[in-house]
Amino acid sequence: MKTTVENIKEVIVEADVLGDVDEMKSDVPLSEQGIDSLDIVNVYLLLEEKFEVSIPDEDLEQVKTIDDIVTYINNKLA
Amino acid sequence: MLGIKEIASYLPGKRVSNYDKKEKFDLDDDFIENKIGVKYHALKEENEKSSDLAVKAFENLTKKMSIDKELIDCCIVVTQNPDFNIPHTSAIVHGKLEFSNDCACFDISLGCSGYIYGLSNIIAFMKSNNLKNGLLFTSDPYSEIINHNDKNTDLIFGDGATVTYISKDALYIPKAFSFGTNGKAYREILCDKNLFMNGRAVFNFTATTIPKHIQKLLSDNSLEDKDIDKYILHQGSKYIVETIRKRLKVDEVKVPFDMYEYGNTVSSAVPIILEKELYDNHKRLLLSAYGIGLSWGSAILEKNSN
Repeated sequence: MKTTVENIKEVIVEADVLGDVDEMKSDVPLSEQGIDSLDIVNVYLLLEEKFEVSIPDEDLEQVKTIDDIVTYINNKLA
Repeated sequence: MLGIKEIASYLPGKRVSNYDKKEKFDLDDDFIENKIGVKYHALKEENEKSSDLAVKAFENLTKKMSIDKELIDCCIVVTQNPDFNIPHTSAIVHGKLEFSNDCACFDISLGCSGYIYGLSNIIAFMKSNNLKNGLLFTSDPYSEIINHNDKNTDLIFGDGATVTYISKDALYIPKAFSFGTNGKAYREILCDKNLFMNGRAVFNFTATTIPKHIQKLLSDNSLEDKDIDKYILHQGSKYIVETIRKRLKVDEVKVPFDMYEYGNTVSSAVPIILEKELYDNHKRLLLSAYGIGLSWGSAILEKNSN
């Protein structure tokens, strides 16, 4: 089953970040939408746990926006 | 039964403000107060060494209890910033405090997990050698190894030292210990000339390994959350303490957080909090510390009923 923007937003909610996740734009980097550097590592960890994928440090440039993350995880799970 | 009779700590009076670093590291107050949880770092004088901080912790201990120095028969210092490579810092502390020549001294080279390892070591060593009055010091002045341009470390660490008096007339007795290591990840916190820390790797380690480790220690001892009055967790950062607490599903009031005014003091972080909890009416405490190595250790302490 394909991962969706909504699936990723659920993980961001689980990370307990500040702000309204429903209002977040999927094509804008998380770091520009009030998610700080600590929250981002927590989001990445939760994504790794939920989708059972590894996101190594060298791939972090590929997962800056929600759309990036959807594509990245779907490619990993393909 | 040997256990913890008293604890004293020393935090240098000088402070460095993280608010003064807001522009340099692009920070806001919320990040300083609610994510890192360090407003100010305790900073030692430049000429002070680990042994000096330990001696000051001991001086504070003498204000809390009467100590006959002739009776101290064991002195252990936990540090990774010793005064010198040779000799061990515990010998220097021994000399400065003029303990008896019959006192055993050695150092333990561990970082954040050092207090838990130290506690297990000193009790086992004293028991097997029939020693009566031991001192467990923690002293790790990280200001000597911080790169002030590194956001990952410059905002977090503070200088401090503690001393724990171990004897049979104890307030708390350790009932169980558990330890672990992931040596393949040793580079994630490393000091060659300056301290380096891979924040993401350390966060992932603490968030995944430590809650499971604590849960296993509880279940191995047929205990549940309701049996623990307080969880005294290593104060790595507020975010790490909160993440572990949430993953354990433990009530906020049971997990003290207290590093706003002095920073992460490495192996001193757990005993600084424990000192404040020692005379509260707790039946059972859980201590857990984790970091450099990567290394971790936890202990269950019970109030001494004798």
